Amino acid sequence: MRAGLASSVTLHVVLLGFGLASLSAPSAFEVADVEALPVDIVPVGDITQVQQGEKNAPVAPRPAPKPTQRQDPVENAQKVGEADTDLKPPPTPEAKPKPVEQASEPPPSPKPQPTPVEKPVEKPQEAKAEDVPVPAAEREPQAQPRQEMKPDPAPEPMVAENTEGESVKLPPAAPLPQSRPQPPKPQIAKAPERKQAEKPAAEQKQASKETKDSEVLDQVAALLNKEKASGGGAKRSTEEAALGASQTTSGNTLSQSEMDALKAQVQRCWNVPAGALDAENLRVSVKFKLDPSGAIEGRPEVIEGGGGSGVARAAAESARRAILQCAPYNLPAEKYSAWADVIMDFNPKDMF
Amino acid sequence: MESVELAAPGGDLSIWALFWQAGWVVKLVMIGLLGASIWSWAIIIDKVLSYARMRVALNRFEQVFWSGQSLEELYRSLSDRKTTGMGSIFVAAMREWKKSFEKGARSPLGLQTRIDKAMELALTREMERLESRLGFLASVGSSAPFIGLFGTVVGIMTSFQAIAGSKSTNLAVVAPGIAEALLATAIGLLAAIPAVIAYNKLTADAGKLASRMEGFADEFSAILSRQIDEKVAPKTRVEEYA
Repeated sequence: MRAGLASSVTLHVVLLGFGLASLSAPSAFEVADVEALPVDIVPVGDITQVQQGEKNAPVAPRPAPKPTQRQDPVENAQKVGEADTDLKPPPTPEAKPKPVEQASEPPPSPKPQPTPVEKPVEKPQEAKAEDVPVPAAEREPQAQPRQEMKPDPAPEPMVAENTEGESVKLPPAAPLPQSRPQPPKPQIAKAPERKQAEKPAAEQKQASKETKDSEVLDQVAALLNKEKASGGGAKRSTEEAALGASQTTSGNTLSQSEMDALKAQVQRCWNVPAGALDAENLRVSVKFKLDPSGAIEGRPEVIEGGGGSGVARAAAESARRAILQCAPYNLPAEKYSAWADVIMDFNPKDMF
Repeated sequence: MESVELAAPGGDLSIWALFWQAGWVVKLVMIGLLGASIWSWAIIIDKVLSYARMRVALNRFEQVFWSGQSLEELYRSLSDRKTTGMGSIFVAAMREWKKSFEKGARSPLGLQTRIDKAMELALTREMERLESRLGFLASVGSSAPFIGLFGTVVGIMTSFQAIAGSKSTNLAVVAPGIAEALLATAIGLLAAIPAVIAYNKLTADAGKLASRMEGFADEFSAILSRQIDEKVAPKTRVEEYA
């Protein structure tokens, strides 16, 4: 026994000594310095609602003013334009003078008007001066100085005496300043350049036959070769396409997160029919209308499912009740056109 | 400004340092388990050696016994020596035999019974000696893990109290206390595992030795009973004829 004890003690001492020597502090784990990982929360609308553009274009600080398309310049295009093929410009209708006349009419009228207005006003006043003295008393002082100024040679008393006779004669005189010959002058001044140029050319032809025919022909040819703005050319935009998808999906469509928000709002009120035998197959589609405030308009209509067994009918009823119960819905007002009519699928499978 | 004293994280975490940092309960548990481990190893070594010696002694005795040597001579050579195993059984049986004949016992049935009893007693004494202290191994094997666990639980308790005091849950603050508490369980397992293995092995060995000795006792009992028959029966026949 003594030998056993002695050997046991020595064994333990040796083991402990070995442990203290070699199994001392374990070397610490090496911890690599990990860079902080930045995480951005990006609204899904940035992905699901994009403008048409080029997928690998750099992100521009501001979006393109209108959806730009990838440039596929037509080689050897002769004309400049937006079409895919190089078309000859369709014959542009000659600008008719009529629209120009209409545009230039107002300006000339104010100038001649002042004179005719004054005269008829003055003269009836004078004519009625005797008939209605009280209201005219105030106006007379104003009118009289002019009367004195103008008809210096003509005797004033005569006018006063023959009031009735003059009142008949004057109206024909009034339209005189408004005579039409005057407006045509500003018309010519405001007409487009080419018409201006053509007309003078034509006038020149007609008016003076002294100029040589060749000169006239050159001028006409030069004018005829001028390019007129028109559609029909191929795309030759030099501007780079903006970042975007193959087609524009923005606009009034609801983003995925907004659809989910609507679903969540309805789901809150939905009591799934309990105890259904095959709850996975109780799919119900309900169509309903919303007004801009988010309230239900009319009656939700079950368009799919809900027929057959009593459980299915109960499921359809519960879906309809859920829609009615949770109204009004909180949805982005600017996209009303997207959620005015909603078709919602109710699937109990998603609830379990 | 309030300053918080924290246990030096990343300090000395060697086994010795962990032991010294531990509370007194945990220290006591560790020391006890270390003592148990030393004692159980002492028993293991002692038993392994003694069983080997016993096996050698049995072999040598069997060799001598079946060599055809006179049992009287064998008894004379063994009786003045300290015997083990089969030797002591043989000596006990022979002593009983001799005493019975010296005192002139005439009942063969009683003589047989007495010799069997003497051999059984000698066998039991031998087995007791062989299996002594194996119980300690069994106890250590079953209870050392629990003792170690107790030390760990106490150590973790105190270390959590210290963490609460330091108002920091940094792993560098939490870890050392738990590591030192776990050391107690480690020592407990270190003591228990060899003890369990050795206990199973030693009991099996002791069983083998015991069956060998029992077999010898039965054989020797059969030989003696034949001897008794040979010695007693002629006399009775003579008495009948006389």
